[in-house]
Amino acid sequence: MTPDNGRVLEASNLRKVFGDLVAVEDVSFHIGEGETYGLLGPNGAGKTTTISMVIGLLERDGGEVVVAGNPVTTKSTTAKAAIGYVPQDIAIYPDLTARENLSFFGHLYGMGGSDLKRRIDELLEVIGLADRADDRSEEFSGGMKRRLNIGIGLLHGPRLLMLDEPTVGVDPQSRNAILESVERLSGEGMAVLYTTHYMEEAERLCDRVGIIDEGQIKAEGTRAELVSLVGQRDKVSLVTADHAQEVAEALASHPDVVEVSGNESGIDLLVSGAAAALPALLQLAAGAGASVTSVEVVEPNLEAVFLHLTGKALRD
Amino acid sequence: MRKILAIGRVNTVRFLREKSNIFFVFVFPMMIVLLTGIAFGSGFDAKVGVHVAGDEGPLATQFVTALDDLADISVIRYDDPDRMLDAVQRGYTDGGVTLPEGYDEALVSGGTAQVEFVSRPDQGALLVRELVLEVVTDQARPVTAGRFVEGTGAGSLDEASAFAAAVPETVTVKSRSAGDSLFEEFVDLGQFDLGASQQLVLFMFLISLAGSAELIQTRKLGVARRMLSTPTSSRTILLGETAGRYGVALTQGLYIMIGTLLIFQVDWGDPIGAIAIVLVFGLVGTGAAMLMGSLFSNDQQAGGLGVLIGLGLAAIGGAMAPIEIFPETMQTIAKFTPHYWAIDGFAELVRRDGTMVDILPNLGVLAGFAAVLLTVASWRLQKVLTR
Ligand SMILES: Nc1ncnc2c1ncn2[C@@H]1O[C@H](COP(=O)(O)OP(=O)(O)O)[C@@H](O)[C@H]1O
Ligand SMILES: [Mg+2]
Repeated sequence: MTPDNGRVLEASNLRKVFGDLVAVEDVSFHIGEGETYGLLGPNGAGKTTTISMVIGLLERDGGEVVVAGNPVTTKSTTAKAAIGYVPQDIAIYPDLTARENLSFFGHLYGMGGSDLKRRIDELLEVIGLADRADDRSEEFSGGMKRRLNIGIGLLHGPRLLMLDEPTVGVDPQSRNAILESVERLSGEGMAVLYTTHYMEEAERLCDRVGIIDEGQIKAEGTRAELVSLVGQRDKVSLVTADHAQEVAEALASHPDVVEVSGNESGIDLLVSGAAAALPALLQLAAGAGASVTSVEVVEPNLEAVFLHLTGKALRD
Repeated sequence: MRKILAIGRVNTVRFLREKSNIFFVFVFPMMIVLLTGIAFGSGFDAKVGVHVAGDEGPLATQFVTALDDLADISVIRYDDPDRMLDAVQRGYTDGGVTLPEGYDEALVSGGTAQVEFVSRPDQGALLVRELVLEVVTDQARPVTAGRFVEGTGAGSLDEASAFAAAVPETVTVKSRSAGDSLFEEFVDLGQFDLGASQQLVLFMFLISLAGSAELIQTRKLGVARRMLSTPTSSRTILLGETAGRYGVALTQGLYIMIGTLLIFQVDWGDPIGAIAIVLVFGLVGTGAAMLMGSLFSNDQQAGGLGVLIGLGLAAIGGAMAPIEIFPETMQTIAKFTPHYWAIDGFAELVRRDGTMVDILPNLGVLAGFAAVLLTVASWRLQKVLTR
């Protein structure tokens, strides 16, 4: 046991090579109690490879992982007792019922007897499968299977919960239920490692986000910190009834306007500090003789950050 | 330990939950035991060679026909006495009868004739000899009685019968043996005994191999990896998976053993020895299943191949036909299969009234098979799981 400085997970300099492919290189991050850390990146970025090394399912080619003060290797069982792992691909026995699946993994987490029974009943409520508990899981919908998949990782009340793209292929309702339970668990003090390629989920759930691409963490921080990398440049879209050309010229003269481009229905601007500049911009437009029918301000998001860092879109 | 049992139990439960498995484990083997029992055990069916020396008279022909007409005997005629002898020695026929030159004459004229019967030193041959003797006597009786009547003109019935009783002095049957005993061991076997131990071995192994598909599914479903993400060592997981296969193999073995004992009154010999064979042979099947489960990544492929391997080894190892009728080279090859050692062990217990001590060599060889298979499989699986 080494002191954990309130850090539930400390991963440093992780590296994994598959043949010629460096799947993960020099990946480091840490997660504290009650903190949700997101790994945001497109398919093939190295999220699953990273998480597999963190849980000790995959032999590392380099780096260290310490969970709750205990080092993680493929052989260590002490550290694993503190981790709840929810794999990207649903890993349950289809020919067993929800209850049987939970009971089976409960035993593997070292639980048993009436404690386990009580915990299973409790969890079945949490994942909304209480009324289907004794049906075989092969009869479940995709969302129900996902929820059971997650429930298994929560059985033993882990200090660290690791979810690998838990909402892929899930209906909006189940998805929302999943996100809500992650928020609640985090509120209860659980440390969460959450991987996703959905920008919205990372923004909603994560206290800090690591943007991962081609096996490397390109940037890391809170949402605000990441966004500041792009600079506070908001996108402002104006729709005008007429005089588009004149309006565009007038707006370009404003010092905060970085870029102007026209489209069929109006004008797009890139503005540093749109909130402050907006009244002046509208005035300029009116002065050019145009009547503005709609204004939309889009603040920069992680999608924009990703684009800025990698030159490509999160989803292609 | 509790984790091992949990994994083992889940495996067995999953296996038995599959409806087709229920049929193959519980219904099919009993059907096969019943069918082979009826086919093999419907009594004694012996082939008997007959050689008629010299010219064949009507009485000799009548003898051959009478013998052939017996329900349990079919006659094969030989012109060459050496070839007849050869067939007996090789076990192709169960006995050979030589009618001496002048057989007809001797019977009609009241001379003596010596019918020769040759067989292997089997107990089964005794039965054949009895039947041959009966036919000879049956034939000689009316002939000699007729001669008596003919000779005296009008004899009383009593006189005729008295004469008839003297027949064995007129026609004698001389027996001798040739070759080695072949079926001696089978004579005491009940109708279903022979088939049951072979079926037990065949099905235990076959069902074990079928279990390899489950292991592959567990890997494919990602459940195996997920198990590794829990505080459970890969050793425990391997032991649990092994326990699961073993549970299935034992279920099958003990079911056939107890089922055939109750339904068909099959004699399994010394119960401790018999159970010991099931326990150790179950480990062999389990090891083979684990190895297949680690080598293949497609459960259907493994399932199909498992059936081929299971049936193939059963055929080579003497689980489909008695090893005793195999040519010598095949008998040697059979010793490379675990099936041979298990069946031989049962044979020792049942046919030769052996005990645990007598089958120790068999148990040792089987344990060797199991140890090698389980070791290689564990090593392979360990690698496959953390790849
Ligand atoms: N077992 C493996 N063998 C070879 N290449 C792999 C293996 N697992 C993953 N990869 C490769 O490593 C890269 C990262 O994969 P992964 O971690 O699954 O990405 P993500 O989870 O972010 O979608 C991909 O290019 C993938 O093809
Ligand atoms: Mg992935």
